[in-house]
This record gives sequence, C-alpha cells and structure tokens, in this order.
Amino acid sequence: MNVSGRDDIVIRVESLDLAYGNHLVLKNISFEVRRGDCLVVMGGSGCGKSTLLKSMVGLLAPLRGKIIIDRDELWLNGDKKRKETLKKLGVLFQNGALWSSMTVFENVAMPLEIFTDLGVKEVENLVDYKLALVGLAGAGNFYPSELSGGMRKRAGLARAMAMDPEILFLDEPSAGLDPITSKRLDDLINELKESLGISFVVVTHELASIFDIADDSIFLDSESKEILAHGNPKDLLKENTLTKVRSFLERKTVNNS
Amino acid sequence: MPSSCDEKIPRIEHHQNNSDVSITICGYWSLNSRERLRLLRRWESLVLQWKDVLRFEIKCDESLVWDSSLVVFLRNANRDLSVNGGQVVFLDLPAGLNKLLNLADEGQKRNKEQKQDPPSDGFLSMEALLKPLDFLGALVISFLNLVRGRSVMRWRDFFASARNCSASALPIVTLISFLTGVTMAFVGSVQLEKFNATIYVADLVSLAMVREMGALMVAIIMAGRTGAAFAAELGNMNLNEEIDSLETFGICSVSFLVLPRTLALFVMTPLLTIYADIVGILGGLLVGTLVMGFSALHYLEQTQSALTDMWEVYSGVSKSLFFGLIIGFVGCYKGVFSGRDSASLGKSVTSAVVISVTLIIIADAFFETAFSLLELR
Repeated sequence: MNVSGRDDIVIRVESLDLAYGNHLVLKNISFEVRRGDCLVVMGGSGCGKSTLLKSMVGLLAPLRGKIIIDRDELWLNGDKKRKETLKKLGVLFQNGALWSSMTVFENVAMPLEIFTDLGVKEVENLVDYKLALVGLAGAGNFYPSELSGGMRKRAGLARAMAMDPEILFLDEPSAGLDPITSKRLDDLINELKESLGISFVVVTHELASIFDIADDSIFLDSESKEILAHGNPKDLLKENTLTKVRSFLERKTVNNS
Repeated sequence: MPSSCDEKIPRIEHHQNNSDVSITICGYWSLNSRERLRLLRRWESLVLQWKDVLRFEIKCDESLVWDSSLVVFLRNANRDLSVNGGQVVFLDLPAGLNKLLNLADEGQKRNKEQKQDPPSDGFLSMEALLKPLDFLGALVISFLNLVRGRSVMRWRDFFASARNCSASALPIVTLISFLTGVTMAFVGSVQLEKFNATIYVADLVSLAMVREMGALMVAIIMAGRTGAAFAAELGNMNLNEEIDSLETFGICSVSFLVLPRTLALFVMTPLLTIYADIVGILGGLLVGTLVMGFSALHYLEQTQSALTDMWEVYSGVSKSLFFGLIIGFVGCYKGVFSGRDSASLGKSVTSAVVISVTLIIIADAFFETAFSLLELR
C-alpha cells in the first residue's frame, strides 16, 4: 500500500552494531520492515533479540549504524527529535510493564492526558474503545497486580496502542501464556494488522506464533552475532539449508560440535 | 561371580591382567548409602595404584541397582582413569545409564559460554562520579520545566508522596523527637545541678532541638522511612520495565517519577522539623515540670527567652530543606539505577539509606562550620 505518497518501508535498519559496555551483542544488522507487515525477530535465547528491540524503541544507543523509523533517524538527531519519533511507535514489554501504581484505565489514559488536549470524556471513550479492542472492556478499574498474565499483556497492548501508533513493537508477547491465550493474542495481532494497517515488530521464539503472525522474519545467531537468515519463516522452513535455522524451525536438537 | 545384591551396598570388583584392568560395578548404588562413601575412598587409592595401567574395561553386573550417584561416579572414574593416558572402555552399561552419560557429555560440550566479568563499576570510577551529576542535572532541568509550566509531573503524584512522607510519618516523628527532648533534659539536668542552674535546662533543650536535633532526627527518620521506600518503589519499577515503558512513550522519567517525590520531601521535611522542634521542647517541659519541679509557665518563659533570636529556628529549618533534597535525590537515584534482580534491589535500598544518612551528617557538619565561620552562631 502506498497511500498519499508515503514510503513503503516503515523501518530501515542499516549496519547496526549493538553493545553493552564492551560486550558486543550484535553486529552488522541490516533489514527493512514494509508498511503493514509483521516482522518477527527470532533466534535462540541470548542471541540479542531483546537488545535489538531496545535499540529500536530508543532505550539503547547503538555503537554504529542507523535506525530509520518512517524517514526519521532515531539516534543521530538528539533527544528531542527522538522523543518525537518515539510517538509513532508503541511498545509492549515482556510482562506488560504496566505502571503498577495506576489502574488499567489510568495506564491507557496517561499518554493521552500528557500528549493530547482531549477532554476527560473523550479520553474516557478512547480508553474504553482500546480496552474493548483487546477484550478487556470493563476491566479498567483493576490494578495490574489484580490481573492474570494474559490480561496484563492485553492491557499493555491497549496502552501501547493508546496514541494510535503506526508501528507496534512486542517483546515476547506469548511467553508464559497458555496455548489458548497465546493463540488469542496472535489472532488479535493479525486482526489489528489487517484492520488498522499497523506494522509490527515481534520478538519471539514461540514457533506456533511465528508461523501464525509473521510476514517476514530475521534469524539472529548468538555465535556470529549477525543475521543468519531473512525471509518468510514458512519459506525458510522449506528452503533454508542452514542447520541452525532448520533445527530451530523444525524444533530439533542439534549437535553443533 | 558372587551374587551382589544380597546386601544393599555398592561394590566394585576388579581384576588386573598385565596392563589391563577389568572393573565390574555391582550392588546397590544409592545417593543415601554410607557404604558408597567408604567405597569412594577405597576407589581413590585404587586409582593411585593403577597409574601405569593402559586400558580399563568397565562393565556392570546384571543385578545392579543404581541412581545418579553411579552416573557421577562413572563420569569421575572416566576422568580420573584417563588422566595418566589410560584408555577407558564402558562395556554393556544399562541402556538408561548410557543415555544419561551421553546427555551429560553433550551438555558439557554445548555450554561453551564462560562467565565474563561485568564491566568494572569501581567505587571511584569516572562513571560513578558523573552519573549522579548527570541525574542531578536532569532533576534541575525538570524542575525548571515545572516552573515554566511545561512538565509532565502530575500534581496528584506530588500530593500522594507528600502525604506519605509527612502525615503518615507523624507518629514516629512525635515519638522520637519527644523522647529526644526528654533525654536531653535528663542529661542536662545532671550537669546543670552541679552549678545550681537547673532552670537552664529549658535553654539547653530548646536550643539543641531547633538548631540541631529536630532537623537531624527528622532527616534520619525520613532517610530510613521515605528514602528507602523511594528506592524500593523505583527499583521495582525499573525491574518491571515500567521506567523503560515511560521512556518509550517519550515521557521523561525524571520529571514523572523523581521530581514529585523529591519535591514532596523538599517541602515536607522543614514542616516536620518545625513540628519535631515543638514536640521536643514539650518533652523537655515534661521533665522540667514533673521531675525537676518547675512550673510550666516558668519553664516556657525561660524557653522563650532562649529563643528570642528567631535565626536559631530558621537555621535548623533551612538545613532541613537540604536534608530533604538529599534524601529524595539519593533514594530516587538508587532506585532508578538499581540492577534488574531482587538482590540488587535490596542493595540499592540499603545503600540509599546509608548514603543519605552519611550525606546528611556531612552536610550538617558543613552547615555548622559555615555558620560559625560566618559568625551566624
């Protein structure tokens, strides 16, 4: 879709190196996300998936390289510009990261109260709508500690969508959820993608989810610290010949001696 | 071969043929067996005897009963016997045992990851000095933004913090400052009796309270009570990625979390100090009237004459403004930069209290020195 002359590429990452202190985590990472697509970042535990996500949502400055979100470079233009760019995206953290001192309603309402001039009634309507979208209508008065893991994630998703972002970043959305709840979350992602045209970047290693939601994927490798494979996971399963990628997608153990 | 499972003990039988040793494992191998420990000691001496043996055959008796203790034994035996160049061959191990040994070997090979020392965060590294300054700068900027009316700070957070660190602290502040007044009156009366000047207890208690003890006691209570609570609260928020999620919304976490808390302490500590001064003087009054036999009016008149210069009161209150800032700043700093596990959360809370109290005492000494050099005392 190329509406109103906008770029088809919503995120472009160019030769990115990421490190914690002196410890290099990822190097030479380049990929693109097309508008309205869902890109899955996969790979074994400790390969730097979450680190990559952190850098893309403005929490970890890269050592080298560029992250361009909707034509704006994220890290080269100073704090103020970065905060503006960040408003185009929403983030769902691994455990929801809801602000524990506020109710679910207040969590979703807060970004609206801070960044918009909407009246109380309008904010209320918007929050009710977002909560209904994720299937939490009527749960606004609960505190995060009173919710189950699945509900927390859905509330986190509602909050991430509060400002109508163009891109949603999800960090292991199905981790720790039972198969049914996790499937429901995947369905929700697909529906949001289709109906609202939101682009997704999802970090996960849940195979079922990957095949369910991904249009495109990158496979990170902890040994080489680079992208090992890139493409639709279903195609990768059919065509990729690398043992690591195959065994990951086929859920087999490997002897990497 | 004799039957091996009559008794429930582990046994090892061995035969030596020139440079070959054949070992048969038999009996009852259990982690709980004491016999096994005795056997292991004998085994150590056997290994020493077999230094020059080139080949070992290890097999298991059919009636063998075993658990993890045997798996560990075989892994160690394999290592010990092959140290001196001997070849170790396992023959006819039970299928399960074989699998477990292979699984453990693979696991050993697969885990090549070695623990790396984290980047040193030395006590006096450059970062350890610059990070608090950076944080202080962010706090000042967010305060200026608040003054200019462009802050994301929510006033209800400020009021909630203010209530938590003042009204809820009244009982403990009352108790401690009252008892401080009582104690000082007793200590003073003993000394002043020698000079027949017991009425000056009123001067002693009131001056000590308003100059020093009121501000200091409140600051120490606040550091232990509120500073620790801030560190724990923000540290837990950091643990849950709540602070990260604020940042990804472009909401300044310093303005949103640190400013209301620090401001609340900045405003409330002086008020509590004035309250503590009064309660402390009342403590002295109690001793003065009930124990030393002065009339309440006499005692209060004496107090009033001691405090004719209101600077005595103001100096204590002005110190407490800074104490409030120190406690808020240190508590929030330690919380925001605590590590992402529960152990470091505990450390953060502890060091928040320790550092606040230390800084309070240092600041107090600094103020007193400055006041005396400027001839304000």
